[in-house]
Amino acid sequence: MRLQRRRGALLVLAALALFFLAAAFTGCDPALLWSRRGHLADILVKMFPPDWGWFPRILAPLWATVQMSVAGTALGALLALAAAPLCAGNLPFPAPLRTALRALVQLTRTFPALILALTATFLVGIGPFAGTAAITVYTFAIMARLTSDDIETAPDGAFRALLTMGTPPYRAFFRGMFPSVASTYLTNALYLLETNVRHSAILGYVGAGGIGLLLNEKISWREYEKVGSILLALFLAVCLIESLSAYLTALVTGRRKAGRTLRRVIIAAAVVLTLVSAATVGRPDFARTSLRTAAAMLGGLVHPDWGFFFDTGAGGLGYLLLETVAIALAGTVLGALASFPLALLGSGRLMPRPVALLGRTVCLAIRAVPFLVYGLIFIRATGPGPFTGVLTIAVCSVGLISKRFGQAIDTMDMRAYRALASMGVPVLSRVRWALLPQLGPAFGSAVLYRFDVNIREASVLGLVGAGGIGAPLVFAMDHFDWPTAGAIAIGLVLLVWAIDWLSGQLRKN
Amino acid sequence: MFLRLQDVCKSYNGGSVRALDGVSFAVAEGQFVSVIGPSGAGKTTLVRLLCGAERCDAGQIELDGVRLDQARGGALRALQRRLGSIWQDFALVEQASALQNVLNAALPDMSPLPALAGAFGRQRRDEAAALLDRVGLADKLDAPVHQLSGGQKQRVAIARALMRRPALLLADEPVASLDPVTGRQIMELLQDIRRTEGLTVLMNSHDLALAKEFSDRLIGLNTGRVVYDGPADVPDQALAAVYGGGEAAP
Repeated sequence: MRLQRRRGALLVLAALALFFLAAAFTGCDPALLWSRRGHLADILVKMFPPDWGWFPRILAPLWATVQMSVAGTALGALLALAAAPLCAGNLPFPAPLRTALRALVQLTRTFPALILALTATFLVGIGPFAGTAAITVYTFAIMARLTSDDIETAPDGAFRALLTMGTPPYRAFFRGMFPSVASTYLTNALYLLETNVRHSAILGYVGAGGIGLLLNEKISWREYEKVGSILLALFLAVCLIESLSAYLTALVTGRRKAGRTLRRVIIAAAVVLTLVSAATVGRPDFARTSLRTAAAMLGGLVHPDWGFFFDTGAGGLGYLLLETVAIALAGTVLGALASFPLALLGSGRLMPRPVALLGRTVCLAIRAVPFLVYGLIFIRATGPGPFTGVLTIAVCSVGLISKRFGQAIDTMDMRAYRALASMGVPVLSRVRWALLPQLGPAFGSAVLYRFDVNIREASVLGLVGAGGIGAPLVFAMDHFDWPTAGAIAIGLVLLVWAIDWLSGQLRKN
Repeated sequence: MFLRLQDVCKSYNGGSVRALDGVSFAVAEGQFVSVIGPSGAGKTTLVRLLCGAERCDAGQIELDGVRLDQARGGALRALQRRLGSIWQDFALVEQASALQNVLNAALPDMSPLPALAGAFGRQRRDEAAALLDRVGLADKLDAPVHQLSGGQKQRVAIARALMRRPALLLADEPVASLDPVTGRQIMELLQDIRRTEGLTVLMNSHDLALAKEFSDRLIGLNTGRVVYDGPADVPDQALAAVYGGGEAAP
């Protein structure tokens, strides 16, 4: 007990120390933000009221955005389902195949959707096809990892029984084991669909289709009322998709029942939507592509710029990666701190209904805005540099962490709380000793998960001038400087691998 | 502790469901009383009223001459502090250690700041550890509760109840979610504690055999009314009214 408490205190102290180090390294300056708060308020005020007349112009790119995410998520999730059993360590599939697939998944998981999309534009041309390809790969990587993790902890009795009857392993998996991971698999896929809409909304930045191009244009021209209408349209689209996904999740997890006919209609609708999205996504354009480009890209990975890789100076890879991690770390901690009250506010269990509804709407609105847009807005107030990156990451983190945390609050076990009440324990002590112990692990795992995501997001912030490794990476790719791009890619892979390992160790505790 | 109920009524859903319908009985200090009856007889409602989790619609509930049904706020908490309770589903904080769960029972006696900071003090920690030793869990002090078996969890819950040094121990189906062997061990522990500490015990049970074996007195409820009140060592036929339709209990 004593020892555990001491270790917990040490962990908290270490996290605090790391946070202050990261904040200092990224030049966090609350005074600067406060002194220029007027700029932020100006931008927000200019967004309202949005330019209503301009709304119809948004619909086509918005549909393209949704289309990219639906087609990409469905395809990626299906590929992941095919690959996941081969990646799982507890199933009797060939070990070399497993190792190769796992390496592929780990490799693709490293890169944010935006970098994948940029790469895709070099291979399949500018347009929504590149965006769809990027979302597919991105979804594949995440889903393959999540599903194979699930498979490893799923009961395998039925699967083994089918094997002993002579069923081929792949078929035995889908008959004997998939049913027990199916609901988590579908829940994860639906959740990714939500996040992918936000990701798709910025892919236009690198020419990969969707609403991002328009958004970028209007922000750079400072037509904020048009930015406002785009963001409002995005918010509505995200609301729609979230409520749809919440409804489907409830069906999948059995919290809501549906008749046979309704089920069939839903499945048919999903299939039709996916097929229509995939069929109308636009053709790839190979005009700019050549085998030489692909060969040069691979060449960059095989022969990276080792001079840059091992450069320890301020312009070297090490420094840039460290800056990226520092941005992600400081941003995650700030975001987590802000999420706490928001999650409490949005909890239907602790707050009266209207307050909870308001809290949830705020969370949803924060989540609906793509993160690069925050970067572009903050940069007007705090200027280019890592501090802007920290603010961006912090605001983006609030959306997800407060959602996860709110879910934890809503699924708390109240029995111990009531038992303490019946002993006459005052309410504050009851919350502290019966409820907080339940929330700690959920909060910790939400923060760790978000940190993992933030490393990736921080590595593209450079695109809008908000520090980190993103600017050099995109610059190198745009100039076909593949050795530098290769060095950065290898650095990112190593970094994400190290962070994965570290957070795995933390999770074990 | 002396317990007295007089014409206690409680209904739910705006009066459409009468859970308790004029229940009266008294329990003398040191008695082991089992409340028996079929599902829906009102056993759980009775315990919920006795521990102050709910309020009765009519009638009187007295603990040592103090009206529980009229107590509010601080007065109610003062009465609740003299009760210990254990539940069918244990009602423990699963993520916290066994020791912490027992220490939680000391919270009502502490001032707010130390209670929030977890400054329980050496004396309370030693007392909690001794209680866990008493229920046979000396080696599980630091184990998170979710790692314990059902029987071990109920032992932690008993230690938590004892931490309050209760005058009355309320037990709501304490062995219903345990296997027969473990359930018997828990009952033996309860009886042993009752003997050594001189506790009054009021237990709900649908297990007639265990209730008959371990208690001094049975109170039989059926559709919210007392239909049997008497000694525990009677043949099953004497309890026919409790289980309705003249059919003997299982």
